[in-house]
Amino acid sequence: MSMNTSCSGSPSGGGGGGSSSGGGGSSGGGGPCGACKFLRRKCVPGCIFAPYFDSEQGATHFAAVHKVFGASNVSKLLMNIPVHKRLDAVVTICYEAQARLRDPVYGCVAHIFALQQQIVNLQAELSYLQGYLATLELPHPPQPPPIPPQPTLAPPTLSISDLPPPHPTPASTATVPITYDLSSLFEPMAQTSWAMHNRPIDAPRQFLSSDTSSLQSSGDGGGGGDLQTLAHELLRRHRVDPTAPVACSSAPSSSQSHSK
Amino acid sequence: MISERCAACKNQRRKCPSDCIFSPCFPANDPQKFACVHKIYGGSNVGKMLQGIPTYLREQAANALYLEAKWRIHDPVYGCVGIISSLYEQIQNAEIELAKIQTQITFYKLQTQRIEAEPNSEVLQAQSSNMEQFEWDNPTIASWFN
Repeated sequence: MSMNTSCSGSPSGGGGGGSSSGGGGSSGGGGPCGACKFLRRKCVPGCIFAPYFDSEQGATHFAAVHKVFGASNVSKLLMNIPVHKRLDAVVTICYEAQARLRDPVYGCVAHIFALQQQIVNLQAELSYLQGYLATLELPHPPQPPPIPPQPTLAPPTLSISDLPPPHPTPASTATVPITYDLSSLFEPMAQTSWAMHNRPIDAPRQFLSSDTSSLQSSGDGGGGGDLQTLAHELLRRHRVDPTAPVACSSAPSSSQSHSK
Repeated sequence: MISERCAACKNQRRKCPSDCIFSPCFPANDPQKFACVHKIYGGSNVGKMLQGIPTYLREQAANALYLEAKWRIHDPVYGCVGIISSLYEQIQNAEIELAKIQTQITFYKLQTQRIEAEPNSEVLQAQSSNMEQFEWDNPTIASWFN
């Protein structure tokens, strides 16, 4: 996975990349890190980007991060994060930056909407089947159920007057209407209380068109393959133990200590 | 008549021109929106991003940027990826629940068919009254019904 190579928290050979090797990649014979290479500046010992952006593919990833966030903003972000968490932070920042470049309008919010819609559909199907199961448990056999209805909610209301939809590819004339009711996502803590808490389905949201499936499927392959690989890697790490030190964090820590 | 500066120009303490790119997206009545975006992305980066987007989509883009910035401020390490992670987890849980219920439905349907096929079979009726009597290859699945 390219992310592993470029954002290598894992020890690599002491040669060219040297992102997390003993010299921290910023000093010794390793050459500048990917970030400093991109910025065309001297990579000083203790460079905050060095452990996470190697000099090969790291520069490409940093280019995306720099374009979206800016080097100084990322640096400030990382400074406020414990060292053992910085690798995860860099990976997520890279993910967001690449998602934003692929979809300049919605970025990774589009993915969140797709997942949200998937949860709504699953919840509706779950509710329907629970009701049907309840009828099966009655003494007399029930009527055969009709075909499970597709989760139909009230017609979506537009919070923003009819805007032509965004397009997953860089902004161009969209052909498939996709609109998002972003106002429903303005409560970050509410995101964790969906579906499994049997909340009633909220006020109608914008439905993604059939392009959602293409957005999801295209995310798995095609142009989104790299992004999806990165996403899966993030999720794998996040699920292991978000609070535990990252397995490869010892490398950047040691590199930091070495560089210091 | 004095036109009010947009939130971005107020934040940057500058004059708000009539063609300010930020004014439609960051109205003066919501200063927090631009403050969040500015903290994570920086004003100039936001301006560049908005310039590359058609005018009718800029407000949506600004809202999306605000969301991502807000989540990043709330969770500096994972940002909106944490949200995505929790959504994937919820989907996984929902799919597991769905599979359980579908299995239960299948069980009850089989039970009904057996009873209808052999209505006088007391043995079958006694056996089929308890799902635990079924031999499950996967002990994990069996534990779902305990």
